Amino acid sequence: MTTTDCVLEAIEIRKTFGPFEVLKGVSLEARNHDVISILGSSGSGKSTFLRCLNFLETPTSGSVSLHGQEVEVRNGKPANPRQIEALRRRLGMVFQQFNLWTHRTVLENVMEGPVHVKKEPKAEAREKAEAFLQRVGLAGKTNAYPSQLSGGQQQRVAIARALAMEPDVILFDEPTSALDPELVDEVLKVMQSLAAEGRTMIVVTHEMGFARQVSSETVFLHEGRIVEQGPPDEMFSHPKTEVFERFIAKVK
Amino acid sequence: MNPMDVIVTYWPRLIDGALMTIRLTLLGAFIAALVSPWLALVRVNTATFIQAPIRVYVSFMRGTPLLAQLFLIFYGSGQFRPELEQWGLWDFFRDPFNCAVLAFALNSTAYQTEILRGGILGVPRGEIEAARAVGMTPIQVLRRVVAPHAYRIAWPALGNEVILLMKASALASIVTVFDLMGRTRQVFSRTFDFSVYLWAALIYLCITATFVLLWRFAERRLSPHLSAADSTAAARLAELEARP
Repeated sequence: MTTTDCVLEAIEIRKTFGPFEVLKGVSLEARNHDVISILGSSGSGKSTFLRCLNFLETPTSGSVSLHGQEVEVRNGKPANPRQIEALRRRLGMVFQQFNLWTHRTVLENVMEGPVHVKKEPKAEAREKAEAFLQRVGLAGKTNAYPSQLSGGQQQRVAIARALAMEPDVILFDEPTSALDPELVDEVLKVMQSLAAEGRTMIVVTHEMGFARQVSSETVFLHEGRIVEQGPPDEMFSHPKTEVFERFIAKVK
Repeated sequence: MNPMDVIVTYWPRLIDGALMTIRLTLLGAFIAALVSPWLALVRVNTATFIQAPIRVYVSFMRGTPLLAQLFLIFYGSGQFRPELEQWGLWDFFRDPFNCAVLAFALNSTAYQTEILRGGILGVPRGEIEAARAVGMTPIQVLRRVVAPHAYRIAWPALGNEVILLMKASALASIVTVFDLMGRTRQVFSRTFDFSVYLWAALIYLCITATFVLLWRFAERRLSPHLSAADSTAAARLAELEARP
């Protein structure tokens, strides 16, 4: 079960917005079946880092490679847009605000990527989409529009949408932060079951319970740098730095 | 004088004029609808110096009277007859109908560009990001996400623009196009019966009313997701009210 082949690797990612250096050289390696939780207070750069992985933000410098294939960046811009599109096809993304396409039904949302990006035949994509919706517990909602769903349901559709692309890694950007407290659990449960399935996931989160119990590795970001990194149990019980200790105390 | 007399005698002329009004309006609006999305995209997506000509064009078209623009094209082209003949364009410009359509198309393009620009700016950022994140090409993002939202947002304002253009098309009668207004003036000069203007107003009203109905129908077809949200909200409200 312990395969060590590296799926996604980010090296020395830096990102500046005007005079602000948000990321000051962050490196991360995700191997098959890894579930990496990225923690940090707001402004630490954790979401920016995640968005650099699929180039929703272009890193100012540094490199991202998937299965050893590096994405080339020249003069702060991706050298080849096709390469970025290919990368994104292999990386699922789940957003804080769900970002479902509101003009399409639940089923259409899940089929969109497979049909229009991966060019799968419609019938096949529909069958798979229905299976993925069942997987996240929304088999009965296929013909609803996103505006008719609760936040938790919308986020589960978003997860099904990411799964439908059959990605190598799924990126989660604070997937439960926009949810009412009573809806958080239904989303976390789905994520937990994905982790149990052995899916490779990188999760930016404030859910300490999830980070401790589900992830195989936790990363703590502070002011654009990784200050602590390791297995969650060890990190949480023996914080090495004062900032992380204070962070744990605050979120408890 | 019985107002029925004039309509009984002259209705074929008025109907003929109404058809011309519809042709003028739809042709002008349609040409503008083909051009304006591209201008709107340039307005939203490019550097200031590339947009500059479009901005100047839009301010000119919105800042001067349509009648002046029509005169400029119809009478102005006469000044350049030798050149236009040389280029083989004189046959186009000598026809007042063509001049009117051109003026309306140019004018409406400016307005539709601004309306669509607003629509594009109103597309939810997050949905565009989701489309990019799934690996769509920029063209796909445009076709699958930006365009449907932008047109849905712009739809009522676009309908309004077509109605305004329809009424403004009466100006074409001044450069001798026999649209509804032109026919009406012709009938009045023969009969001196002012009630023909009331009939004309009634016909204009019928055209706009029909258009508004069709436009609303299309609006509903364009946005099943919004009426779905409405019905859900209504159902929830009813549920709440039904509680003791």
